[in-house]
Amino acid sequence: MASEELGQNIEGERPDIEQTVETDDATVTKTAELERTIGLSGGLAIGIGTMIGAGIFVFPGLAAGEAGPAAALSFAIGGVVALLVALPTSELATAMPKSGGGYYFISRGLGTLPGAVVGLSLWFGLVFATAFYLVGFGYYAVDALGVAGIAIGEWLVIPVAVAVGAGFTLLNVTGTENAAKLQNGVVALLLSILIFFLGFGLLDAIGIVGEPSAPETFAPRGTLPIFTVAALVFTSYLGFAQVATVAGEMKDPGRTLPMAMVGSVVIVTVLYVVTILVATSAFGAERLAEEGETAMVAVGRDLLGPAGAFAIVFGGLLATMSSANASILSTSRAIYAVSKDAILPGWASRINLKYGTPHVALGMAGGPILLLTATGQVEILAEVASFLHLIMYALMCVALIALRRDEPEWYDPEFRVPGYPAVPILGAVASFALILLMNRLSQIIGLAIMLGTAGWYFYYARDVTLRGAL
Amino acid sequence: MTHVLVPVAILEGGTVSSGLVNLLSTMDVTVLGYHVLPEQTPPDQARAQFEDRANEALDDLTEEFRSAGGEAYHRLVFTQNRQQSIDRIADETSARAYAITGTTGPVDNVLVSLAGDTDATQIVEFVVELIGDRPIEVTLFIADGDVASDDSLATATEQLSAAGIETTTRVAEGNTFDALIDAVAGHDAVVMGERAPSLSSLLFGEEADRVAAASVGPVLVVRSSAAAADADDSDDNDT
Repeated sequence: MASEELGQNIEGERPDIEQTVETDDATVTKTAELERTIGLSGGLAIGIGTMIGAGIFVFPGLAAGEAGPAAALSFAIGGVVALLVALPTSELATAMPKSGGGYYFISRGLGTLPGAVVGLSLWFGLVFATAFYLVGFGYYAVDALGVAGIAIGEWLVIPVAVAVGAGFTLLNVTGTENAAKLQNGVVALLLSILIFFLGFGLLDAIGIVGEPSAPETFAPRGTLPIFTVAALVFTSYLGFAQVATVAGEMKDPGRTLPMAMVGSVVIVTVLYVVTILVATSAFGAERLAEEGETAMVAVGRDLLGPAGAFAIVFGGLLATMSSANASILSTSRAIYAVSKDAILPGWASRINLKYGTPHVALGMAGGPILLLTATGQVEILAEVASFLHLIMYALMCVALIALRRDEPEWYDPEFRVPGYPAVPILGAVASFALILLMNRLSQIIGLAIMLGTAGWYFYYARDVTLRGAL
Repeated sequence: MTHVLVPVAILEGGTVSSGLVNLLSTMDVTVLGYHVLPEQTPPDQARAQFEDRANEALDDLTEEFRSAGGEAYHRLVFTQNRQQSIDRIADETSARAYAITGTTGPVDNVLVSLAGDTDATQIVEFVVELIGDRPIEVTLFIADGDVASDDSLATATEQLSAAGIETTTRVAEGNTFDALIDAVAGHDAVVMGERAPSLSSLLFGEEADRVAAASVGPVLVVRSSAAAADADDSDDNDT
């Protein structure tokens, strides 16, 4: 498509769309090649690394407090919804293996307005998610000091979280060392800690080792909390879509993208459910709730003594840190994707000559992240992040159906979703349903952000046409 | 004609010395302009900003090779993993060797290392083609105690003198790698074989890169078909 047909934004910038040929190893444009360097293990590390921080180390106490032992079921529901969306996302990603993820699929499948709303909302969604991970990190940092014998009150949580957030942003602007290898190692280490810990916990739960614990009512407050908690903890499942934001950099995308997305969802779902079962059977839901964000540390101490507490604190620090860092990186990619399409000004995707890093986009991620982190509202941050992601998930399912009903010539996915059309329809409905189950305040903030992004579109980029612009 | 890949860090002032350009005048050359990005930066974002400048620089370099003799082409890659890009483009262009550019004046003598587990026949064939009928001297370097060295040395010397190339031999004593670095002194360029990935290459980096770092001049690495096949299997080392 010629660039004149794509229209221009209010500053006269046009979408920058290159004719490309996608191979398994590289994206080839007319005069350059972009190497694909992330393999399956790297993709899984991004997915799992982003997700695991929240679900295991922050939510168990909060979730058990609201739903009792049935919180395990909430996590299972979240996992099923994530899987229903991960499958259609995989198909779209193999058809359009480009960086930008959900934004790209929706703008090409449904048009510029939904694309702009999702693309800009994704920016804010990731900002909320990162702030949430950082606050989680703050709780673990304070607990780490506690384990080390330095008892400091919870007032330190927010300052620590803000400082670490600022540190990450700065590191990402100036650091040219590849942290991705480190990320793989961190995820491997985390998984080993968790599998050891959960294995022991399971043996304890069925009474082979340790002292028998008293059974309690599975769902002490009825069935509704099971679903509202599912909406709350859905933040633990946002990471698989981050894999799609690096789709343009994945090797052999037709195979690795679906495996990385579906694989990471399945792995974390199993870990989450087992974690909640172990935690509630070790402790009982009420005591978990009292321990709050770092309830898992108490569970670790109960099961394995001080060493257990240390392992969990260490794991929690690693996990929340890797979630936050992965999300900052995704945020800057989300900003780049919309700026490339002239929905944000072109300067937003400038690269710093000295470090070769996208400093403007990283700043546009880091600034709001610090503001939100300073609020310290764990549940609101988590729910708004989920809200904005769920909108994208639902629209991705809709985009898939729209594309399949009238398949354009260019639409040739290597992976086709099984159970079409039931899976994408269920995925869309379930995503909307989770949104309806959230706190009123989270819903209002989420809606306000969406309206704001739509307003921006009408002001700034109304004349840009992206549907089918590959 | 035989094909050689010349990777250059094109946006970081990477150039090719005239000595190397002339040494490779008997070969077809693909100049691979690469730009390594940190993981924070999507390759496409860097392309949008730097592509034009990089291609201009590449055009100039390619022209230098072309006016020296053989055919010359160029490719431009934005990557987060330099070695992966070099291996891929080398495969795609069926390059027999790739160069690690260094600085050198006119090349009068070349150190050819047959030490270690490399395919001596392939290396010697490549050297014969590279030198052609130019008065460039060759020093063969072999490791002391290599089982195959006696045989392969005899064949290598024979092949080289049949091609009219003046050849001397140097046998390593003690640590082969250190001896190789010592031998590099007094030579204008090095030709060596590509080694299969090993524990020491994992710990210290590729042998060829270490030789290049220790010597100032260019290093030509002859790709072995076995190493190329290995690289295909083991390229899941993500960054």
